[in-house]
Amino acid sequence: MRSAGDDLISVAVVDTQAAQALAAALRQSGGWIDAVAGIDSVVVHFDLACVDRADAETRLKDAVANVSVRPVDQQAVIEIPIVYGGEFGPDLEQVCEKLGLTKGEFVALHSGEYTVDMIGFTPGFAYVGGLDDRLVVERHSEPRQHLPAGSIGIAGGRTGIYAVPGPGGWPLIGRTARKLFDASSDDPFLLSAGATVVFTAVETL
Amino acid sequence: MVLVRKPGLQSTIQSRPRTGKRHLGVPASGPADPLSMALANRLVGNTSFVSALETTLTGVTLMFDCDSRIAITGAIAKCTLNGDPVEQHSTIVVRPDDVLAVGSAEKGVRSYVAFAGGLDADEVLGSTSTYLPAEFGGYAGRALEAGDELQLCDAAVDAPLLVTPAEYRTPMLGAWTVRAGRSCETDSMRDPQRLFEQKFTVSNRSDRMGIKLDGEAFTTDSDGQMPSAAVFPGTIQCPHDGSLFVLSVDSGTTGGYPRVAKITRMDLHVLGQLRPGNTLTLIERNDAVAVVELREQHAYWQAWLPDIERVI
Repeated sequence: MRSAGDDLISVAVVDTQAAQALAAALRQSGGWIDAVAGIDSVVVHFDLACVDRADAETRLKDAVANVSVRPVDQQAVIEIPIVYGGEFGPDLEQVCEKLGLTKGEFVALHSGEYTVDMIGFTPGFAYVGGLDDRLVVERHSEPRQHLPAGSIGIAGGRTGIYAVPGPGGWPLIGRTARKLFDASSDDPFLLSAGATVVFTAVETL
Repeated sequence: MVLVRKPGLQSTIQSRPRTGKRHLGVPASGPADPLSMALANRLVGNTSFVSALETTLTGVTLMFDCDSRIAITGAIAKCTLNGDPVEQHSTIVVRPDDVLAVGSAEKGVRSYVAFAGGLDADEVLGSTSTYLPAEFGGYAGRALEAGDELQLCDAAVDAPLLVTPAEYRTPMLGAWTVRAGRSCETDSMRDPQRLFEQKFTVSNRSDRMGIKLDGEAFTTDSDGQMPSAAVFPGTIQCPHDGSLFVLSVDSGTTGGYPRVAKITRMDLHVLGQLRPGNTLTLIERNDAVAVVELREQHAYWQAWLPDIERVI
């Protein structure tokens, strides 16, 4: 456990599942402004106007001691149809060249079933883990300023799904027409940590 | 109704920050300088986060078709009503056909225009604050354009005429200091003490997402990469080029660059007024001192802004 700032505490955990479980338990217990999981850590934001750090640390320690990493609740499988390459995946050609794959080989390796590791970065952005070892590329050194919602990129062994428009630095391999964000809903994001997604190749959006 | 005649560089509707949704990747948004917005709302009888306008560098020109009371705070700018000068930090009475012009910022970056009763705006995820990158909240999720028509929630014209007391006018400067503490990866820096020993220059890369600081480069052991972890407004990252990047209200919620410092909660409002070319000095504050100073500030502001604990 260490300070991440005057009103922030970070706690290290063993893996992504443990981070998600702890952050969810902390949000459920209340008393925090935000509790946010990273890949192998959780940071809580507490209200420094009325909460002392020592009390926040005690509550956090208790939560760490009591959390159990349960298997994720069985969730519906969410299909994500993807148009690979072309105008919707402007980096696919270059990615294939770098990886020494044909487009067909890339699509065969990339499509299939995965688990959403975490949501973060921008609203609803899904980090989807478990990519084949042959599909590891680095992110662009300069991010693009504006990507449309539904853009799909890969970087560092993960697939990233952009739920809303915005800047982004992951090489783009395709796009989905599935609506990933609905501003009018109380539960506005289609994807959540632990969800199962299936990527399938389609010809048109 | 309020007609936008000249929208300025980037004028948006802002209200309270979004909280409790960072795990969904939803950033805070809200005013980049919440203290200035609270002061504007105070002058028209509103609580601190009632929907108001935030302008950027070049101001805004508005025309009213109704009676209202408004106030302008934040960046120092020449302001006029029908061509005649009007004061910032005081309640201004407007009548139908009046034209209000907020001029270019002379010091600071963002001026705030508050309206008695507030602006009607799109509420998304619990707030009407505009989040431009994802195009939601505020006015159709975007910055204002000429011809837009803003609706007032309530034509409150009986708000008393007020002036911000001199001791509560936050200064707009060219050389700023903010308090900052160490963060998770501070120790991965070869020379963390240098964070607090030099004057940084605010670069041109500065907006509501964050502010890049120019200065002598730092070296971190982690080579500028680490597993993605949660970040917050005020978190200072050190990417692989050794520069510093201060996250602001619209920043992403997780990041993969070392978190080498965090600006204290009480000074976050300064980020909204840092102008390219200004200097910034970080003053080190440990957590034990930061909490005492925050609560002293709250006690000080209470007399003018009763809901100050929600603002800074």
